[in-house]
Amino acid sequence: MAEHYEAPVLFYIIALFALVYMAYNLRRFFTVRRGKPETDRPVKFLSALINGLFFGIGQRRVYRKTFTYAAVMHFLLGWGFMELFFATTVDFFSARGWFVRYLPELDTPWFAALNDLGGLMLLVGILMALYRRYFAKPEPLPQDGFGGRWNLLGDTGILLLLLLLVLGGFVTEAARIAVTRPATEAWSWIGYPLSKTASASFWETVRPWLWWFHAVTALAFIAVLPLTKMFHSLAVIVNVALTNRDRRGRIRPMHVSQLMEDPDVDLENLTLGVNKVRDFTWKQLLDSIACTECARCTSVCPAYNTGKPLSPMKIITDIRHSLYEQTFGGGEEKDLINGKISETELWSCTTCAACMEECPVLIDHVPTFTDLRRFLVLSEGKPPAQAASHLEKMMNNGNPWGFAQSDRTKWALDGGIELPLFSVKKKAQVLYWVGCAGAYDPRNQQVARAMVKIFEAAGVDYAVLGNEEKCTGDSARRLGDEYLFETLALQNIDTLNKYEFDRIVTACPHCLHTLKNEYPDFGGRYDVQHHSQFIHELIDGGKLKITSSSDRKITYHDPCYLGRYNGEYDAPRELIRSTLRNGELIEMDRHRNTSFCCGAGGGNMWHEIDRGERINLSRFREAIDSNAQTVATACSFCMIMLDDALKVTEQEKNMQVLDLAEMVIQAMEPDPD
Amino acid sequence: MKIAVLVKQVPGSESALRVGTEEQWVDESALDFEMNESDSYALEEALLIKEKSAAGGEVVVVSMGPPERTPKVIREALAKGADRGIHIHEEPPYENDPFLIAGIFASALRDEQFDLLLSGLQSADLATGQTGVILGEFLEMATATLVMATELQDGSIKVKRELESGWSQWITLPLPASITIQSGLNQPRYPSLRGIMGAKKKEIKVLSKADLIAGNTPLQSWERLYVHKKEKRTEMIEGDLNQVVDQLVNVLRTEIKVL
Ligand SMILES: Cc1cc2nc3c(=O)[nH]c(=O)nc-3n(C[C@H](O)[C@H](O)[C@H](O)COP(=O)(O)OP(=O)(O)OC[C@H]3O[C@@H](n4cnc5c(N)ncnc54)[C@H](O)[C@@H]3O)c2cc1C
Ligand code: SF4
Ligand code: SF4
Ligand code: SF4
Repeated sequence: MAEHYEAPVLFYIIALFALVYMAYNLRRFFTVRRGKPETDRPVKFLSALINGLFFGIGQRRVYRKTFTYAAVMHFLLGWGFMELFFATTVDFFSARGWFVRYLPELDTPWFAALNDLGGLMLLVGILMALYRRYFAKPEPLPQDGFGGRWNLLGDTGILLLLLLLVLGGFVTEAARIAVTRPATEAWSWIGYPLSKTASASFWETVRPWLWWFHAVTALAFIAVLPLTKMFHSLAVIVNVALTNRDRRGRIRPMHVSQLMEDPDVDLENLTLGVNKVRDFTWKQLLDSIACTECARCTSVCPAYNTGKPLSPMKIITDIRHSLYEQTFGGGEEKDLINGKISETELWSCTTCAACMEECPVLIDHVPTFTDLRRFLVLSEGKPPAQAASHLEKMMNNGNPWGFAQSDRTKWALDGGIELPLFSVKKKAQVLYWVGCAGAYDPRNQQVARAMVKIFEAAGVDYAVLGNEEKCTGDSARRLGDEYLFETLALQNIDTLNKYEFDRIVTACPHCLHTLKNEYPDFGGRYDVQHHSQFIHELIDGGKLKITSSSDRKITYHDPCYLGRYNGEYDAPRELIRSTLRNGELIEMDRHRNTSFCCGAGGGNMWHEIDRGERINLSRFREAIDSNAQTVATACSFCMIMLDDALKVTEQEKNMQVLDLAEMVIQAMEPDPD
Repeated sequence: MKIAVLVKQVPGSESALRVGTEEQWVDESALDFEMNESDSYALEEALLIKEKSAAGGEVVVVSMGPPERTPKVIREALAKGADRGIHIHEEPPYENDPFLIAGIFASALRDEQFDLLLSGLQSADLATGQTGVILGEFLEMATATLVMATELQDGSIKVKRELESGWSQWITLPLPASITIQSGLNQPRYPSLRGIMGAKKKEIKVLSKADLIAGNTPLQSWERLYVHKKEKRTEMIEGDLNQVVDQLVNVLRTEIKVL
């Protein structure tokens, strides 16, 4: 048995204080009680366990982009830290003589080697982090050296404290080896050579000092851990465990119509949307205190990357900052909007979900941002000025363009198409949801006509709602106008429920997402398919014949609401491949779940943030750089944005933007060869 | 400050208009209606004037139209912040003579003793541009049209009027005054949900056109509503040069009447 340095009573007293102080500081967790109950996202025990293990302790999301600097750095820091935590706990037990039969000794060969590895990992991780902060300085990373934003010791201070801990650990170990000379000393492959650098008598003299130094720094670290940035190591586990991953990214329904019927509602004190910390749910607040400030979200944000004044990380930490100010700081309850968070920041978000996809701790940015937007619209009547008229048109005309509701099928009439209508047929297998873009936007009308050709060529029993169809309300909801969204949703659900159909097919992922995932909250449950999935099925089932094939180089732009929101990445790609002969499908750098938004989501189709570069141009340049001749899209809004970028960048002669349905139609034409 | 705003509900600007069966008005069956554009600016201006004036005041929104659809536009104005509404029930055929319309409004509003009366520069459907002015005359108010800015003063209002070719003028009217508002002078607000919920509790007084019309006579009557027929006709003039010129001159003189 290895000899342990006999810890004096004083150590236990300090340790007790440190632990009590740490426990006291854990009250940070309880600040979230200031939030409202979470009715929309029930916590399930089993998934809590799984989430906690995989996303919390396993840090699954941290390493998704495997060999990036940040991933390697965090791997070393995280696992080095956990290993040392494990080693320290084991040592604590064995020093007390607890469980000694089951536990390794500090000098057990594998344990000794592992502990030195853990220490080295942490050391390298810390050095990498310091290098990153002081030399590499990736832009979105916060740079609060030694304090600020309620992080004791700031971003740098905590790294230096950790550095002291590791270095202290190594020299204390060296001193122990020099003095006790265990038989297996060579297994401590760092501590042992270090112990050889000075004489045994030297180590003998300094050992108590080193021991005390290391003990005190370790205890101090434990005591203040919840006050520093390292609090995330605990908060993250709790946060991911309590995340309902099925509802993640989903906007919380407000049930405005019920609210409007309620005769006892107190208008003076009613808060619609969120402007104060206490208007969030406890989970939204827990999200904010769990944020590690890693800036991964911001680094992929299309708004941030094109010079708009938005950093998703900043908004999440602004919420935490405000929460702590009010709880620990005893400050008064302040407004968030036009306090820490500006209106332009909020309106810059395209709700593309890149941040949520990236966030290692499963923070739910978009629903939280939507709640803030709701305050601006529902409480203050302040949507972005340009968007306001489009919202009014959605209310008055049932579409954001303001065209006449009675002209909804004009696109077909003008093309000489006689559409089968549900008002006449009452029943069909497929309900083709045309969407406002398909009905009124000239470019998307071409896609709608292609859809009709496909239905007809494949002999599909389909019909449309025609003038009974109204905007799904997607843009209204993203812009925070839940009242308008719900009004439209309830009208559409009423209409849909009048007719008999097996499924809805739509070419617009925004319609898809709303109909499929959001209408159920209001009583409309339908089987909804994106046209890429439906057409793919038709081709697979031999109902649609591809006769000519393309020699073009094609790149595919993943729409956020099809990919990240609905997990469909493959059907569109397979569809494209089925139309190829000598052509090829080339991927842009950012594709599948890392796709870069076109800029139209979140209602940003209807207003423009006049700062920096336009998002659609940034995305289109990526398509140009891919050397593709055709940019394939699968979204009505993407089509408008990319088609506009095609013209602005004057690439019309070299490139084309096509919807998948149009590509299929081209491939159905008799082969010229 | 007691302010009335005239707000008319008109077919949306993108409406596909068709002449109704009697050739008296458009077929309304498939139309989407909205607040007349300049009226929504007039409403916003009224709300701004009320909010700016230290003594506060009241904004009353007034609309004449059929009971099926008109309440929507009044509620919209109430949701944006008007304090109460007056709805003059009118069944088709709708009045189309501004003199008569103004007379009806005068009967409805005379007793209210408004300090200020705001209306749109013109309605998108009739576009006569006279209602606000005639009403002002009936109620013995000072009037101004095409107002692009307002400044409330003690007992008077200073307004900027649009003239032709980018010119404008500032004039001061004693109160009470009736001014007609040009689109674009402010940024009409968006109704908040709080406002929409509050609007349900606000009063809308219902009057009937039949009661108010007594003693008012129209100065004009509407014969027929129709769409101009556009015709394209090509006639080839043949012959030698002299014949062609003679015939061309004849056509220009007698048929096209430009000579
Ligand atoms: C600068 C300018 C230049 C013009 N140039 C020409 C030109 O060159 N040629 C030409 O032909 N015309 C021109 N016009 C248009 C012409 O002047 C108008 O057609 C005419 O003056 C409008 O009269 P009105 O009062 O009957 O308006 P109305 O259309 O009756 O409406 C005026 C306002 O009264 C209120 N109102 C009316 N009815 C109701 C109701 N039922 N409920 C509530 N409120 C109501 C509304 O506030 C409305 O906006 C021009 C107009 C302007 C302003
Ligand atoms: S949803 Fe997209 S635009 Fe909005 S903050 Fe996240 S990354 Fe940025
Ligand atoms: S929100 Fe998530 S991704 Fe963004 S900084 Fe915080 S932890 Fe990192
Ligand atoms: S328009 Fe397309 S890329 Fe843009 S947000 Fe929607 S789905 Fe995403």
